[in-house]
Amino acid sequence: MIPASKWLFAQPVSATFPQAVVVKNGQPSQLLKAALHALGGMERFVKAGDVVVVKPNIGWDRPPELAANTNPLLVEAIVKACFKAGAKQVKVFDRTCNDPRRCYRNSKIAERARAAGADVMHVRRNRFTTLAINGQLIKEWPIYEDYLKADKVINVPIAKQHSLSTVTLGLKNLMGVMGGNRGNIHNHFARKLTEIDGRILPTLTIIDAYRILTANGPQGGSPDYVKIKRTLIASDCTVSADYLALPLFGYHLEQVEHIKVAAQKGLARYDLKKLKVKEINLA
Amino acid sequence: MLARIRRIVQILFFLFFLLLFLLARYPYSGRIPADLFLRFSPLMPLFDFIKHLHVSLLFWPALIILLITPFLGRVFCGWVCPLGTLLDISSKFLHPPDNLISKKWQKLRSAKFMFLTGLIILAVLSVHLWGYFDPLSIFNRVLTIVFYPLFTVITENTLLGLTTLPLIGNLSGGLYDGFKNIIMPEAQAHFQQLFWIILFIAAIIGMEKISRRFWCRYLCPAGALLGILSKFRLLERNVSNSCVLCNQCQAACKMNAIPFDDPFHTSKVECIQCFNCASTCPSKISAISYTWKWKPYQSKVDLNRRQFLQTGAASVLAVGLLNLPLPNKDKKERLLRPPGALAEDEFLDRCIRCEECVRICSTNGACLQPGSIHTDLRQLWVPEANMRTGYCEYNCNLCTQVCPTRAIQPLTLAEKQKTVIGIAVFNKNICIPYERNENCMVCEEHCPTEKKAIQFNIKQVKQADGSVKEVKYPYVIRELCIGCGICENKCPLPGESGIFVVRQAQEEEYEGYVS
Repeated sequence: MIPASKWLFAQPVSATFPQAVVVKNGQPSQLLKAALHALGGMERFVKAGDVVVVKPNIGWDRPPELAANTNPLLVEAIVKACFKAGAKQVKVFDRTCNDPRRCYRNSKIAERARAAGADVMHVRRNRFTTLAINGQLIKEWPIYEDYLKADKVINVPIAKQHSLSTVTLGLKNLMGVMGGNRGNIHNHFARKLTEIDGRILPTLTIIDAYRILTANGPQGGSPDYVKIKRTLIASDCTVSADYLALPLFGYHLEQVEHIKVAAQKGLARYDLKKLKVKEINLA
Repeated sequence: MLARIRRIVQILFFLFFLLLFLLARYPYSGRIPADLFLRFSPLMPLFDFIKHLHVSLLFWPALIILLITPFLGRVFCGWVCPLGTLLDISSKFLHPPDNLISKKWQKLRSAKFMFLTGLIILAVLSVHLWGYFDPLSIFNRVLTIVFYPLFTVITENTLLGLTTLPLIGNLSGGLYDGFKNIIMPEAQAHFQQLFWIILFIAAIIGMEKISRRFWCRYLCPAGALLGILSKFRLLERNVSNSCVLCNQCQAACKMNAIPFDDPFHTSKVECIQCFNCASTCPSKISAISYTWKWKPYQSKVDLNRRQFLQTGAASVLAVGLLNLPLPNKDKKERLLRPPGALAEDEFLDRCIRCEECVRICSTNGACLQPGSIHTDLRQLWVPEANMRTGYCEYNCNLCTQVCPTRAIQPLTLAEKQKTVIGIAVFNKNICIPYERNENCMVCEEHCPTEKKAIQFNIKQVKQADGSVKEVKYPYVIRELCIGCGICENKCPLPGESGIFVVRQAQEEEYEGYVS
């Protein structure tokens, strides 16, 4: 039997769903709930029996308050939502920059994701598969096997200033599933990153902008660099989500090369100029 | 019976040592200090006293050992020392020759006393080399640098190899995850100086082929110290008149401490109280017992005046030789010590090369390494930071928490984050932005200080095709850099790094530094 909530509010698919949502002024779990509701529920993205990868940013040995890693409460809420939608298994991992044991622990993500029932795993060196990229600069690149094999992927970056890429959002967060010497991506960054990203775009991108890092990125280090924005952006198009996060920092698309290049190369699912965005204010 | 108890106690102490070893890693609570067992070493209070002329309670476990030795004898050697236990285990496989054959080496007994004397004279002359030969330090060093990495590399790669096979692949994958979660959460360790440390332990173990406990009988300076202290040992071995002179106790003695011409006595200096003699005495006879004697006989320490003088002369020569090498400036420049390390000279004196800090280092064998000789023999195996293979984790202060001699002073995390261990400098000849006029910024991205110690100069550069582009050129703000080395470690160049850490900041401490 279909639950009452489903048929009472049943809407024709995609016709009425916004292409992206921006939710403001709430706790991480409330922001997520509102965003998912507007997008048609997690059920729209995760089907019963799916193996889901939730990919937060766990890159740094920093506590949540310093906004270097994704908000652990948001990760917890997303994992719960996946299971509620019928996911068989939810995996959480990231290829960290600092010592992985320290990052997983001090970001509090391991603790919260495990509490929600996720398999929190360290990246193992034997689990990278070389993926053909066939770009102009990158011919192939090792990508994490669990990421490639997952039925659905939810990319959960935190919005941060970044010296190289100006900002780090959804497109940049995908570097956490890339193996090899990632430093080599840093020259001709926009072209190389978008070439690889084009092959591994996620099902859904949820940008954590509860706290954002405005300086000394990507790892911050002082509360002075953190701004509380209590915002969340979600879209099934990574480029659109990233684009919508730029005003948080006061940037335009022209200033952020890798997002601009991604749009030019057709990584965006929607036309950024005519994006159908639903803005929700919970306050 | 007593021998069986001794064996069980030996194994328990051995396992305790291994447990402390496994506990010495992130996350480290410190409730049981990981360096506790290392502070059992009887040499520590002696050489600490020579250096500072006071008795430090930091070494309380060793003080207890020193206190009980005149009463009970060398129980430390027979019951506690993990190196001794390792040698006992090795002898099960190496089958050392009988005491009748190996007794021809007995004249070497004096070697350990000469060795100890030499180390003491060197220490008085302010050269502390004893740590190299401290049995607990040796055992911890070998465990850290050789045994544990060997165990993990074999286990990890076997399990990984099996995952590619059908049928058992999944099982092996599960075992691998379990292994990584429980036994080896850190990355595989790779150490420099590995070959020499293997050689060192291989020699000690290999000498079991010459006689049982060769190291303990003839070389160990800790054994020598305890031997001197147990000269008058109160717990005596008594042999009753029922003894039939079967010589089985002599054959069973690990230390060859029972003279062949007189099984009624024991060399109290040599005996390590293993009680093998009593347990091998035929049960019908049971001639051997142990009793307290308030007026004990004393045994001779094998060290005559001539040997003593020879050792003294050799020690003076050694100190002279140690002062001869060229104080090569550029080699010193890349020598980085862990945060909290005392000033170099003091550090070399206090460090016992036990590698406990190397063991607990968050990067596990990537950053802290047993040092090599840069300009001074004494630098050998003293921990040094290698920033190209590893880097000092900004939020980690573990190496400062476990130094048994406090050669690395305990630092709080906040103190450690302000402790300058070096300073980063660019090699602009190879650094990507300088060499190719392309943006890179990996070093800046990883710089962990509260305000980044690497900043950019943005300049317009003309390219070959005549167009102009903007490039960010990184530079170091010396006041902010603490020398953690993550920039050097993460530099994407394949070989030599475009930025590296040098010691510059501590230059002044080299003033008056002998080397």
